[in-house]
Amino acid sequence: MAGLEIEIRQFIADRFLFGDDRQLGDEDSLLEAGIIDSTGILELINYLEEHYMIKVNDDELVPENLDTIANICAYLSKKTA
Amino acid sequence: MRIDEPVPNMKTTSCLVHHFLEKNAGLFPTKVAVVHERGRASYSEVNKRANQLAHNLIKAGVRPGDRVVLLCENSIEYVFCYYGILKAGGIVASLNTDIKPEGLAELVKELEPKALVVSSKLEKTVRALDASVLQAARLMVIGPRRAGQSPGDAVLSLPEEAVAQRDANPGLAIDPNSCAAIIYTSGSAGKPKGAMLSHANIAANTRAVIEYLELTSSDVQMVVLPFFYVMGKSLLNTHFAVGGTVVINNKFAYTASVLKQMAEEDVTGFSGVPSTYAHLLFKSPLAQYRDKLPALRYCSQAGGHMPRRVKLELLKILPSHTRLVIMYGATEASARLTYVPPERLDSKIDSIGIPIPGVTMSVMSPEGKQLGPGEPGELVARGDNIMLGYYKNEEATKKVLDQHGYHTGDLGYCDDEGFLFVTGRKDDQIKVGGRRVNSQEIEDKIVESGEAAECIVFGIADPLEGRRLAGLVVPIRPIPDTEKNILAYCAAKLPKFEVPEELRLVDSIPKTSSGKPDRAKSVQIFLESEPKQG
Repeated sequence: MAGLEIEIRQFIADRFLFGDDRQLGDEDSLLEAGIIDSTGILELINYLEEHYMIKVNDDELVPENLDTIANICAYLSKKTA
Repeated sequence: MRIDEPVPNMKTTSCLVHHFLEKNAGLFPTKVAVVHERGRASYSEVNKRANQLAHNLIKAGVRPGDRVVLLCENSIEYVFCYYGILKAGGIVASLNTDIKPEGLAELVKELEPKALVVSSKLEKTVRALDASVLQAARLMVIGPRRAGQSPGDAVLSLPEEAVAQRDANPGLAIDPNSCAAIIYTSGSAGKPKGAMLSHANIAANTRAVIEYLELTSSDVQMVVLPFFYVMGKSLLNTHFAVGGTVVINNKFAYTASVLKQMAEEDVTGFSGVPSTYAHLLFKSPLAQYRDKLPALRYCSQAGGHMPRRVKLELLKILPSHTRLVIMYGATEASARLTYVPPERLDSKIDSIGIPIPGVTMSVMSPEGKQLGPGEPGELVARGDNIMLGYYKNEEATKKVLDQHGYHTGDLGYCDDEGFLFVTGRKDDQIKVGGRRVNSQEIEDKIVESGEAAECIVFGIADPLEGRRLAGLVVPIRPIPDTEKNILAYCAAKLPKFEVPEELRLVDSIPKTSSGKPDRAKSVQIFLESEPKQG
């Protein structure tokens, strides 16, 4: 799981935080932190689908799956199990 | 319980905006007025907290006519602060929460507010301002007092101090025709203009909307749009006026969770702008919710033209009992001007509809002549909802308000049934090879291709042709050759001079601070981006 967490963190840092993810905790809400919005979520989904060969179903678009690094990792583990 | 009086006369000279809240705090004190995440506040709670803020503001020196800036994200706090400022006689200037310190400094200089009411999340934007900009304005931060703040600080933290204040309605005598709110609106060019709306303007528009949407105290509105938009405030005011409930959800990025909440809260109405519906249509499990939203009476859409295909797809995918209400308006009109009666949408799919109760719409020539059915001209509106003018901008006011009414800047025509149609903006005309181009029609076609969720079309300066047509497109899904496919579709459906020469794919269409597509910014993005190779 640690490897996954590092990869996700890297993507978010590169794409949304100009490379600096020091202030972003694993449990921090990406939406509340202003890191993600309706557009950003689509980029995140595209990345997850392309990189991990999964399909994010429309009904999986909930904060519990995608709104924190910890949630994303748990969601990915479930999807790729 | 319906608002009982018939409304033959739309004049509402005795009604102030905060009376909506005060009346229902008396009638339905324990009824839930606002829901936000786990928080629920009744009418009496909202009214009490609004009163506490109002008394604080009065104590801080706010007098009728003073401007008070409100900088706060959608929340229960926003609601009581909005009404609290009004109860104190203040003019509420609710600003875009994305505002940067530079933009805020400009507006504060213009508004000269007596106070700024700010949420704790947005405090840092205000803190970044030079002390000289704030001058004597009191800063009130919504939230518990932080360590390190001394009582002498010109900062008043709520709600602790608020609790010490009185709970009763201040009951100030305020002229209904005086300004209640300043709402900034910006076109693609020029500095933002503050539309001044009076209590009477807002009350008149609120009642008209209640009438044509048939709102009652059973109505529950899902709010995903920011309250700082005039449309967001209209959702709030209309539902408070009938004693309904407002459900705030700031996580529209997670569409599945919004739909889930709509089902759980028995939401009766949902409102959006075109990009809201593009998102709902193409990136949400809306189809799976067809049988799970039995209470959803209607979905309303305003905030600009929505492509025809999106309307048609929504009609197919929404529950069969859910009406789609297409609307049109302007911040300067508080904001609603026209709507399409849902039962006529099929045959008037491209129309912006008929005037709402109390509003008259004319199509006028540049010389001020009233035009007849089918004759194209500018849409001009009259009614009790038309603004007082732009704050400290006499020149801009004179350009849009005259004896004929409010000049919307939209071009269009009326059909022989009185249904209005918009064909474009007066100042946004694109001419290619000397021929005028209907950008709205082209944008509709692009979306009709089935590969675009949203788009915008504009003219790029070209040495040979004067202008050539180009566009930005938000694809529904990333597949190869999207641009080529769309252009091929347009070529098959449009006259040659209306087919864009080049399209570029983007994640989103840039919007102005009032949420409208920003054509100038779009041109900039297009020119700065690289064309696709090969």
